[in-house]
Amino acid sequence: MAFKASEQDLMAYLYGELEGKEKEMVEQYLLENADARLELEKLKQLRHALGHIKDKEVIAPPIFIGDSRPPFIWNAPYFKTIASIAASLLLIMLVGRLAGLQIGYAGSELRISFGKPAQQREVVDVRPAESLTTGDVQQMINASLQQNNIAMQETWAETQKKLDASIVKNLASNSVKIDNLVKESSAASQQQIRDFVSSIQAENVQVVKSYFQLSSTEQKQYIESLLVDFAKYLQQQRNDDLQVVQTQLNSLQKNTDSFKQETEQILTSIISTVGSNNSLGTKY
Amino acid sequence: MTETLLDIAMMHSDNLIARAKDGDQNAQGKVVQLWYKRIYNFSFKFFLDHDLAMEVSQKTFISMCKNLPSLQDNARFKSWLYKIAVNYCREEARKKKGNRSLSFDMVWNREAEDSPQWESSGHRIDSPERQLQHQELSDVLQEALLEINDEQREVVIMKEYEGLKFREIAEVLNISENTVKSRMYYGLDGLRKVLERKNINKETIGYGI
Repeated sequence: MAFKASEQDLMAYLYGELEGKEKEMVEQYLLENADARLELEKLKQLRHALGHIKDKEVIAPPIFIGDSRPPFIWNAPYFKTIASIAASLLLIMLVGRLAGLQIGYAGSELRISFGKPAQQREVVDVRPAESLTTGDVQQMINASLQQNNIAMQETWAETQKKLDASIVKNLASNSVKIDNLVKESSAASQQQIRDFVSSIQAENVQVVKSYFQLSSTEQKQYIESLLVDFAKYLQQQRNDDLQVVQTQLNSLQKNTDSFKQETEQILTSIISTVGSNNSLGTKY
Repeated sequence: MTETLLDIAMMHSDNLIARAKDGDQNAQGKVVQLWYKRIYNFSFKFFLDHDLAMEVSQKTFISMCKNLPSLQDNARFKSWLYKIAVNYCREEARKKKGNRSLSFDMVWNREAEDSPQWESSGHRIDSPERQLQHQELSDVLQEALLEINDEQREVVIMKEYEGLKFREIAEVLNISENTVKSRMYYGLDGLRKVLERKNINKETIGYGI
Protein backbone atom coordinates (compact mmCIF):
# COMPACT_ATOMS: atom_id res chain seq x y z
CA MET A 1 0.00 0.00 0.00
CA ALA A 2 1.45 3.39 -1.03
CA PHE A 3 2.34 5.74 1.80
CA LYS A 4 0.52 9.06 1.86
CA ALA A 5 1.92 11.76 4.13
CA SER A 6 -0.78 13.28 6.31
CA GLU A 7 -0.99 16.90 7.44
CA GLN A 8 0.52 15.81 10.75
CA ASP A 9 3.45 14.12 9.01
CA LEU A 10 4.06 17.23 6.92
CA MET A 11 4.11 19.38 10.03
CA ALA A 12 6.50 17.09 11.85
CA TYR A 13 8.75 17.00 8.80
CA LEU A 14 8.59 20.80 8.36
CA TYR A 15 9.76 21.33 11.93
CA GLY A 16 12.36 18.57 11.81
CA GLU A 17 10.66 16.36 14.32
CA LEU A 18 10.73 13.22 12.20
CA GLU A 19 13.47 10.71 12.46
CA GLY A 20 14.58 7.47 10.89
CA LYS A 21 12.13 5.46 8.90
CA GLU A 22 9.28 7.93 9.13
CA LYS A 23 11.44 10.73 7.79
CA GLU A 24 12.58 8.58 4.89
CA MET A 25 9.02 7.68 4.03
CA VAL A 26 7.93 11.30 3.94
CA GLU A 27 10.97 12.28 1.84
CA GLN A 28 10.15 9.47 -0.57
CA TYR A 29 6.54 10.64 -0.74
CA LEU A 30 7.67 14.19 -1.47
CA LEU A 31 9.94 12.99 -4.27
CA GLU A 32 7.06 11.19 -5.89
CA ASN A 33 4.43 13.83 -5.28
CA ALA A 34 4.93 17.25 -6.88
CA ASP A 35 1.83 18.78 -5.25
CA ALA A 36 3.05 17.86 -1.79
CA ARG A 37 6.45 19.30 -2.64
CA LEU A 38 4.87 22.57 -3.68
CA GLU A 39 2.78 22.62 -0.53
CA LEU A 40 5.84 22.10 1.62
CA GLU A 41 7.66 24.82 -0.28
CA LYS A 42 4.87 27.27 0.40
CA LEU A 43 4.88 26.38 4.06
CA LYS A 44 8.64 26.96 4.25
CA GLN A 45 8.21 30.35 2.61
CA LEU A 46 5.51 31.22 5.12
CA ARG A 47 7.77 30.16 8.00
CA HIS A 48 10.48 32.37 6.56
CA ALA A 49 8.06 35.31 6.44
CA LEU A 50 6.89 34.64 9.98
CA GLY A 51 10.50 34.86 11.05
CA HIS A 52 10.26 38.63 10.47
CA ILE A 53 8.42 39.08 13.73
CA LYS A 54 11.06 39.93 16.28
CA ASP A 55 10.78 39.56 19.99
CA LYS A 56 10.08 42.69 21.98
CA GLU A 57 12.51 43.62 24.67
CA VAL A 58 10.98 43.81 28.09
CA ILE A 59 12.33 44.17 31.58
CA ALA A 60 10.80 41.92 34.18
CA PRO A 61 9.15 43.99 36.87
CA PRO A 62 9.70 42.88 40.44
CA ILE A 63 7.27 40.17 41.42
CA PHE A 64 6.29 40.33 45.07
CA ILE A 65 5.27 37.10 46.59
CA GLY A 66 4.13 36.69 50.16
CA ASP A 67 6.30 34.80 52.64
CA SER A 68 5.99 31.21 51.65
CA ARG A 69 7.80 29.78 54.68
CA PRO A 70 5.76 27.53 56.95
CA PRO A 71 4.08 29.67 59.63
CA PHE A 72 5.28 29.50 63.23
CA ILE A 73 2.98 28.31 65.96
CA TRP A 74 2.02 31.87 66.95
CA ASN A 75 1.03 32.62 63.38
CA ALA A 76 -1.49 29.82 63.34
CA PRO A 77 -5.03 31.19 63.42
CA TYR A 78 -6.24 28.87 66.22
CA PHE A 79 -3.34 29.97 68.40
CA LYS A 80 -4.28 33.61 67.85
CA THR A 81 -7.88 32.93 68.83
CA ILE A 82 -6.92 31.13 72.04
CA ALA A 83 -4.37 33.78 72.93
CA SER A 84 -6.87 36.59 72.44
CA ILE A 85 -9.47 34.83 74.64
CA ALA A 86 -6.85 34.30 77.36
CA ALA A 87 -5.78 37.94 77.16
CA SER A 88 -9.40 39.12 77.49
CA LEU A 89 -9.92 36.91 80.55
CA LEU A 90 -6.73 38.23 82.11
CA LEU A 91 -7.85 41.79 81.50
CA ILE A 92 -11.24 41.11 83.07
CA MET A 93 -9.56 39.55 86.12
CA LEU A 94 -7.22 42.52 86.49
CA VAL A 95 -10.06 45.02 86.26
CA GLY A 96 -12.04 42.96 88.79
CA ARG A 97 -9.11 42.96 91.18
CA LEU A 98 -8.66 46.72 90.93
CA ALA A 99 -12.34 47.45 91.34
CA GLY A 100 -12.68 45.07 94.28
CA LEU A 101 -15.20 42.86 92.59
CA GLN A 102 -16.96 40.43 94.87
CA ILE A 103 -18.88 37.53 93.46
CA GLY A 104 -20.63 35.14 95.78
CA TYR A 105 -23.22 32.45 95.56
CA ALA A 106 -25.02 31.60 98.74
CA GLY A 107 -28.28 29.78 99.05
CA SER A 108 -30.15 30.65 95.83
CA GLU A 109 -28.60 34.10 95.54
CA LEU A 110 -25.85 35.21 93.12
CA ARG A 111 -24.23 38.34 94.46
CA ILE A 112 -21.94 40.55 92.33
CA SER A 113 -20.66 43.66 94.03
CA PHE A 114 -17.81 46.13 93.94
CA GLY A 115 -15.86 47.24 96.96
CA LYS A 116 -16.25 45.87 100.51
CA PRO A 117 -19.46 44.08 101.36
CA ALA A 118 -21.88 46.40 103.15
CA GLN A 119 -23.20 45.66 106.73
CA GLN A 120 -26.39 43.75 106.64
CA ARG A 121 -29.19 46.10 107.57
CA GLU A 122 -31.45 45.17 110.49
CA VAL A 123 -34.84 44.16 109.44
CA VAL A 124 -37.58 45.67 111.63
CA ASP A 125 -40.23 43.18 112.33
CA VAL A 126 -43.54 44.85 111.84
CA ARG A 127 -46.43 42.98 113.35
CA PRO A 128 -50.02 44.02 113.94
CA ALA A 129 -50.53 45.03 117.64
CA GLU A 130 -53.89 43.52 118.16
CA SER A 131 -56.16 41.64 115.91
CA LEU A 132 -59.79 42.71 115.54
CA THR A 133 -62.68 40.37 115.26
CA THR A 134 -64.97 40.31 112.30
CA GLY A 135 -67.91 41.49 114.35
CA ASP A 136 -66.01 44.56 115.60
CA VAL A 137 -64.99 45.47 112.07
CA GLN A 138 -68.57 45.00 110.87
CA GLN A 139 -69.83 47.21 113.68
CA MET A 140 -67.29 49.89 112.93
CA ILE A 141 -68.19 49.83 109.27
CA ASN A 142 -71.91 50.04 110.04
CA ALA A 143 -71.42 52.92 112.46
CA SER A 144 -69.35 54.89 110.04
CA LEU A 145 -71.85 54.13 107.27
CA GLN A 146 -74.70 55.41 109.39
CA GLN A 147 -72.81 58.55 110.28
CA ASN A 148 -72.06 59.05 106.66
CA ASN A 149 -75.65 58.55 105.63
CA ILE A 150 -76.91 61.06 108.18
CA ALA A 151 -74.37 63.64 107.16
CA MET A 152 -75.16 63.06 103.55
CA GLN A 153 -78.90 63.40 104.09
CA GLU A 154 -78.39 66.65 105.94
CA THR A 155 -76.28 68.09 103.22
CA TRP A 156 -78.75 66.86 100.57
CA ALA A 157 -81.64 68.57 102.38
CA GLU A 158 -79.71 71.79 102.67
CA THR A 159 -78.75 71.82 99.08
CA GLN A 160 -82.31 70.96 98.09
CA LYS A 161 -83.63 73.96 99.98
CA LYS A 162 -81.05 76.24 98.54
CA LEU A 163 -81.79 75.04 95.08
CA ASP A 164 -85.55 75.55 95.47
CA ALA A 165 -85.08 79.04 96.84
CA SER A 166 -82.79 80.04 94.08
CA ILE A 167 -85.11 78.56 91.46
CA VAL A 168 -88.10 80.48 92.81
CA LYS A 169 -86.11 83.66 92.96
CA ASN A 170 -84.84 83.21 89.45
CA LEU A 171 -88.28 82.43 88.11
CA ALA A 172 -89.75 85.57 89.70
CA SER A 173 -87.11 87.88 88.43
CA ASN A 174 -87.11 86.25 85.02
CA SER A 175 -90.89 86.40 84.58
CA VAL A 176 -90.92 90.09 85.40
CA LYS A 177 -88.17 90.68 82.94
CA ILE A 178 -89.90 88.63 80.29
CA ASP A 179 -93.20 90.48 80.82
CA ASN A 180 -91.45 93.79 80.45
CA LEU A 181 -89.71 92.63 77.38
CA VAL A 182 -92.95 91.33 75.86
CA LYS A 183 -94.71 94.59 76.62
CA GLU A 184 -91.98 96.65 75.20
CA SER A 185 -91.83 94.58 72.15
CA SER A 186 -95.63 94.64 71.64
CA ALA A 187 -95.80 98.41 72.11
CA ALA A 188 -92.94 98.94 69.87
CA SER A 189 -94.43 96.71 67.26
CA GLN A 190 -97.86 98.43 67.29
CA GLN A 191 -96.24 101.80 66.83
CA GLN A 192 -94.03 100.47 64.14
CA ILE A 193 -96.88 98.80 62.28
CA ARG A 194 -98.84 102.01 62.33
CA ASP A 195 -95.94 103.96 61.03
CA PHE A 196 -95.30 101.36 58.43
CA VAL A 197 -98.92 101.19 57.27
CA SER A 198 -99.23 104.96 57.12
CA SER A 199 -96.02 105.26 55.17
CA ILE A 200 -97.22 102.56 52.81
CA GLN A 201 -100.55 104.34 52.41
CA ALA A 202 -98.85 107.63 51.69
CA GLU A 203 -96.62 105.94 49.17
CA ASN A 204 -99.58 104.23 47.59
CA VAL A 205 -101.48 107.50 47.33
CA GLN A 206 -98.47 109.12 45.80
CA VAL A 207 -98.04 106.32 43.32
CA VAL A 208 -101.70 106.19 42.37
CA LYS A 209 -101.82 109.94 42.05
CA SER A 210 -98.87 110.14 39.82
CA TYR A 211 -100.12 107.20 37.85
CA PHE A 212 -103.46 108.78 37.28
CA GLN A 213 -101.87 112.06 36.36
CA LEU A 214 -99.63 110.35 33.92
CA SER A 215 -102.36 108.19 32.50
CA SER A 216 -104.83 111.06 32.26
CA THR A 217 -102.42 113.25 30.31
CA GLU A 218 -101.54 110.30 28.12
CA GLN A 219 -105.18 109.49 27.59
CA LYS A 220 -105.90 113.06 26.79
CA GLN A 221 -103.18 113.16 24.26
CA TYR A 222 -104.24 109.88 22.85
CA ILE A 223 -107.86 110.87 22.56
CA GLU A 224 -106.89 114.14 21.00
CA SER A 225 -104.77 112.44 18.43
CA LEU A 226 -107.52 109.91 17.93
CA LEU A 227 -110.03 112.65 17.32
CA VAL A 228 -107.73 114.45 14.97
CA ASP A 229 -107.12 111.27 13.10
CA PHE A 230 -110.77 110.50 12.97
CA ALA A 231 -111.55 114.00 11.70
CA LYS A 232 -108.85 113.59 9.08
CA TYR A 233 -110.31 110.28 8.12
CA LEU A 234 -113.80 111.67 7.85
CA GLN A 235 -112.54 114.53 5.77
CA GLN A 236 -110.75 112.13 3.52
CA GLN A 237 -113.82 109.95 3.26
CA ARG A 238 -115.97 112.93 2.35
CA ASN A 239 -113.51 114.01 -0.24
CA ASP A 240 -113.45 110.55 -1.71
CA ASP A 241 -117.23 110.34 -1.72
CA LEU A 242 -117.46 113.70 -3.29
CA GLN A 243 -115.03 112.65 -5.95
CA VAL A 244 -117.02 109.50 -6.56
CA VAL A 245 -120.26 111.45 -6.78
CA GLN A 246 -118.55 113.92 -9.07
CA THR A 247 -117.25 111.28 -11.37
CA GLN A 248 -120.57 109.50 -11.40
CA LEU A 249 -122.30 112.74 -12.12
CA ASN A 250 -119.79 113.37 -14.86
CA SER A 251 -120.30 109.99 -16.35
CA LEU A 252 -124.05 110.44 -16.07
CA GLN A 253 -123.68 113.76 -17.80
CA LYS A 254 -121.60 112.10 -20.50
CA ASN A 255 -124.10 109.37 -20.87
CA THR A 256 -126.90 111.85 -21.08
CA ASP A 257 -125.01 113.85 -23.66
CA SER A 258 -124.22 110.81 -25.73
CA PHE A 259 -127.78 109.65 -25.37
CA LYS A 260 -128.94 113.04 -26.45
CA GLN A 261 -126.65 112.92 -29.43
CA GLU A 262 -127.72 109.47 -30.37
CA THR A 263 -131.31 110.49 -29.99
CA GLU A 264 -130.65 113.49 -32.10
CA GLN A 265 -128.93 111.39 -34.70
CA ILE A 266 -131.67 108.88 -34.68
CA LEU A 267 -134.21 111.59 -34.85
CA THR A 268 -132.41 113.29 -37.68
CA SER A 269 -132.00 110.01 -39.45
CA ILE A 270 -135.64 109.21 -38.94
CA ILE A 271 -136.59 112.64 -40.04
CA SER A 272 -134.42 112.39 -43.05
CA THR A 273 -135.73 108.96 -43.92
CA VAL A 274 -139.25 110.06 -43.42
CA GLY A 275 -138.55 113.11 -45.52
CA SER A 276 -137.03 111.09 -48.29
CA ASN A 277 -139.80 108.55 -48.14
CA ASN A 278 -142.30 111.27 -48.36
CA SER A 279 -140.61 112.63 -51.36
CA LEU A 280 -140.48 109.20 -52.91
CA GLY A 281 -143.99 108.61 -52.00
CA THR A 282 -144.95 111.65 -53.64
CA LYS A 283 -143.18 110.70 -56.56
CA TYR A 284 -145.05 107.53 -56.81
CA MET B 1 15.61 33.06 20.01
CA THR B 2 18.05 35.67 21.15
CA GLU B 3 19.01 34.01 24.37
CA THR B 4 22.63 33.31 24.93
CA LEU B 5 23.79 29.80 25.45
CA LEU B 6 24.27 30.63 29.09
CA ASP B 7 20.64 31.68 29.38
CA ILE B 8 19.45 28.51 27.78
CA ALA B 9 21.68 26.53 30.04
CA MET B 10 20.20 28.41 32.99
CA MET B 11 16.64 27.83 31.84
CA HIS B 12 17.16 24.17 31.81
CA SER B 13 19.12 24.10 34.93
CA ASP B 14 17.31 21.70 37.14
CA ASN B 15 19.36 23.03 39.98
CA LEU B 16 17.90 26.54 39.70
CA ILE B 17 14.36 25.20 39.47
CA ALA B 18 15.00 22.92 42.46
CA ARG B 19 16.26 25.85 44.54
CA ALA B 20 13.30 28.02 43.48
CA LYS B 21 10.99 25.15 44.48
CA ASP B 22 12.55 25.06 47.93
CA GLY B 23 11.56 28.69 48.42
CA ASP B 24 14.89 30.29 47.57
CA GLN B 25 13.70 33.79 46.61
CA ASN B 26 16.93 34.52 44.76
CA ALA B 27 16.43 31.50 42.58
CA GLN B 28 12.79 32.43 42.02
CA GLY B 29 13.85 35.93 40.98
CA LYS B 30 16.38 34.44 38.58
CA VAL B 31 13.74 32.18 37.03
CA VAL B 32 11.43 35.17 36.57
CA GLN B 33 14.26 37.15 34.94
CA LEU B 34 15.05 34.30 32.57
CA TRP B 35 11.50 33.48 31.52
CA TYR B 36 9.75 36.85 31.70
CA LYS B 37 10.71 37.87 28.18
CA ARG B 38 9.50 34.58 26.70
CA ILE B 39 6.14 34.67 28.45
CA TYR B 40 5.70 38.36 27.68
CA ASN B 41 6.41 37.80 23.97
CA PHE B 42 4.11 34.80 23.86
CA SER B 43 1.27 36.84 25.37
CA PHE B 44 2.07 39.88 23.24
CA LYS B 45 1.81 37.84 20.05
CA PHE B 46 -1.42 36.35 21.32
CA PHE B 47 -3.09 39.72 22.05
CA LEU B 48 -0.95 42.28 20.19
CA ASP B 49 -1.40 44.42 23.29
CA HIS B 50 1.37 45.45 25.65
CA ASP B 51 -0.83 45.96 28.72
CA LEU B 52 -2.58 42.62 28.41
CA ALA B 53 0.76 40.90 27.80
CA MET B 54 2.21 42.50 30.95
CA GLU B 55 -0.81 41.50 32.97
CA VAL B 56 -0.69 37.90 31.79
CA SER B 57 3.07 37.72 32.41
CA GLN B 58 2.80 39.06 35.94
CA LYS B 59 -0.08 36.78 36.83
CA THR B 60 1.81 33.84 35.34
CA PHE B 61 4.91 34.46 37.45
CA ILE B 62 3.01 35.15 40.64
CA SER B 63 1.18 31.89 40.10
CA MET B 64 4.48 30.19 39.25
CA CYS B 65 6.14 31.29 42.50
CA LYS B 66 3.14 30.22 44.55
CA ASN B 67 2.68 26.84 42.90
CA LEU B 68 6.27 25.88 42.19
CA PRO B 69 6.40 23.48 45.16
CA SER B 70 3.59 21.47 43.55
CA LEU B 71 5.62 20.93 40.35
CA GLN B 72 6.39 17.22 40.29
CA ASP B 73 8.90 16.85 37.47
CA ASN B 74 11.45 19.62 37.13
CA ALA B 75 12.12 18.61 33.52
CA ARG B 76 8.58 19.62 32.66
CA PHE B 77 8.97 23.12 34.02
CA LYS B 78 8.77 24.72 30.57
CA SER B 79 5.49 23.16 29.52
CA TRP B 80 4.13 23.72 33.05
CA LEU B 81 4.97 27.44 32.84
CA TYR B 82 3.40 27.79 29.38
CA LYS B 83 0.30 26.00 30.62
CA ILE B 84 -0.14 28.69 33.27
CA ALA B 85 0.45 31.41 30.69
CA VAL B 86 -2.01 29.87 28.21
CA ASN B 87 -4.69 29.66 30.91
CA TYR B 88 -4.27 33.33 31.82
CA CYS B 89 -4.28 34.27 28.11
CA ARG B 90 -7.58 32.43 27.68
CA GLU B 91 -9.01 34.11 30.78
CA GLU B 92 -8.05 37.57 29.51
CA ALA B 93 -9.38 36.76 26.04
CA ARG B 94 -12.72 35.78 27.57
CA LYS B 95 -12.83 39.04 29.54
CA LYS B 96 -11.93 40.99 26.43
CA LYS B 97 -14.65 39.31 24.40
CA GLY B 98 -17.14 39.95 27.18
CA ASN B 99 -16.27 43.63 27.33
CA ARG B 100 -16.14 44.25 23.63
CA SER B 101 -19.46 45.12 22.06
CA LEU B 102 -19.70 44.03 18.45
CA SER B 103 -22.25 45.46 16.12
CA PHE B 104 -24.43 43.09 14.14
CA ASP B 105 -22.76 44.19 10.91
CA MET B 106 -19.28 43.51 12.19
CA VAL B 107 -20.23 39.97 13.13
CA TRP B 108 -22.25 38.95 10.11
CA ASN B 109 -21.34 41.20 7.26
CA ARG B 110 -18.98 39.29 5.02
CA GLU B 111 -17.20 42.44 3.97
CA ALA B 112 -16.67 43.46 7.55
CA GLU B 113 -15.32 40.02 8.31
CA ASP B 114 -12.89 40.28 5.47
CA SER B 115 -11.64 43.69 6.56
CA PRO B 116 -11.57 43.95 10.32
CA GLN B 117 -11.47 47.27 12.02
CA TRP B 118 -7.74 47.55 12.52
CA GLU B 119 -7.28 47.37 8.80
CA SER B 120 -9.88 49.96 7.87
CA SER B 121 -8.45 52.32 10.43
CA GLY B 122 -5.16 52.32 8.50
CA HIS B 123 -4.42 53.43 4.97
CA ARG B 124 -7.06 51.40 3.31
CA ILE B 125 -6.97 53.19 -0.01
CA ASP B 126 -3.26 52.59 -0.38
CA SER B 127 -1.95 49.61 -2.27
CA PRO B 128 -0.22 46.91 -0.22
CA GLU B 129 3.12 48.17 -1.53
CA ARG B 130 2.41 51.67 -0.26
CA GLN B 131 1.18 50.25 3.02
CA LEU B 132 4.39 48.42 3.46
CA GLN B 133 6.34 51.60 3.07
CA HIS B 134 4.63 52.92 6.17
CA GLN B 135 4.17 49.82 8.18
CA GLU B 136 6.67 47.33 9.35
CA LEU B 137 6.28 43.87 7.90
CA SER B 138 6.42 42.62 11.43
CA ASP B 139 3.24 44.52 12.30
CA VAL B 140 1.40 43.14 9.26
CA LEU B 141 2.37 39.62 10.22
CA GLN B 142 1.37 40.24 13.84
CA GLU B 143 -2.01 41.45 12.71
CA ALA B 144 -2.35 38.45 10.42
CA LEU B 145 -1.72 36.24 13.46
CA LEU B 146 -4.66 37.87 15.21
CA GLU B 147 -6.96 36.78 12.40
CA ILE B 148 -6.62 33.05 12.93
CA ASN B 149 -8.59 31.50 15.74
CA ASP B 150 -7.30 31.37 19.32
CA GLU B 151 -6.57 27.62 19.41
CA GLN B 152 -4.52 27.73 16.22
CA ARG B 153 -2.78 30.94 17.31
CA GLU B 154 -1.65 29.38 20.60
CA VAL B 155 -0.09 26.47 18.75
CA VAL B 156 1.51 28.57 16.01
CA ILE B 157 3.12 30.95 18.54
CA MET B 158 4.36 28.17 20.79
CA LYS B 159 5.81 26.24 17.85
CA GLU B 160 7.10 29.00 15.62
CA TYR B 161 8.29 31.55 18.17
CA GLU B 162 8.72 29.70 21.44
CA GLY B 163 10.29 26.63 19.88
CA LEU B 164 8.32 24.09 21.88
CA LYS B 165 8.22 20.58 20.51
CA PHE B 166 4.85 19.18 19.41
CA ARG B 167 5.04 16.84 22.39
CA GLU B 168 5.49 19.75 24.78
CA ILE B 169 2.64 21.74 23.22
CA ALA B 170 0.41 18.68 23.57
CA GLU B 171 1.39 18.59 27.25
CA VAL B 172 0.66 22.31 27.71
CA LEU B 173 -2.73 22.12 26.07
CA ASN B 174 -3.56 18.67 27.40
CA ILE B 175 -4.46 17.37 23.94
CA SER B 176 -2.97 14.75 21.62
CA GLU B 177 0.12 15.43 19.58
CA ASN B 178 -1.80 14.79 16.36
CA THR B 179 -4.37 17.43 17.30
CA VAL B 180 -1.52 19.87 17.89
CA LYS B 181 -0.08 19.12 14.45
CA SER B 182 -3.50 19.54 12.84
CA ARG B 183 -4.01 22.89 14.53
CA MET B 184 -0.56 23.91 13.42
CA TYR B 185 -1.30 22.92 9.81
CA TYR B 186 -4.63 24.76 9.70
CA GLY B 187 -3.14 27.72 11.52
CA LEU B 188 -0.40 28.07 8.92
CA ASP B 189 -2.92 27.53 6.14
CA GLY B 190 -5.12 30.27 7.58
CA LEU B 191 -2.16 32.62 7.87
CA ARG B 192 -1.23 31.98 4.25
CA LYS B 193 -4.77 32.83 3.14
CA VAL B 194 -4.78 36.01 5.21
CA LEU B 195 -1.48 37.11 3.71
CA GLU B 196 -2.66 36.28 0.19
CA ARG B 197 -5.78 38.35 0.77
CA LYS B 198 -3.58 41.23 1.81
CA ASN B 199 -1.56 40.75 -1.37
CA ILE B 200 1.53 39.97 0.61
CA ASN B 201 3.61 37.43 -1.23
CA LYS B 202 7.12 36.51 -2.06
CA GLU B 203 7.60 39.57 -4.25
CA THR B 204 6.06 42.22 -2.03
CA ILE B 205 8.13 41.42 0.98
CA GLY B 206 11.10 40.06 -0.84
CA TYR B 207 11.28 36.81 0.96
CA GLY B 208 12.18 33.59 -0.62
CA ILE B 209 14.63 30.83 -0.37
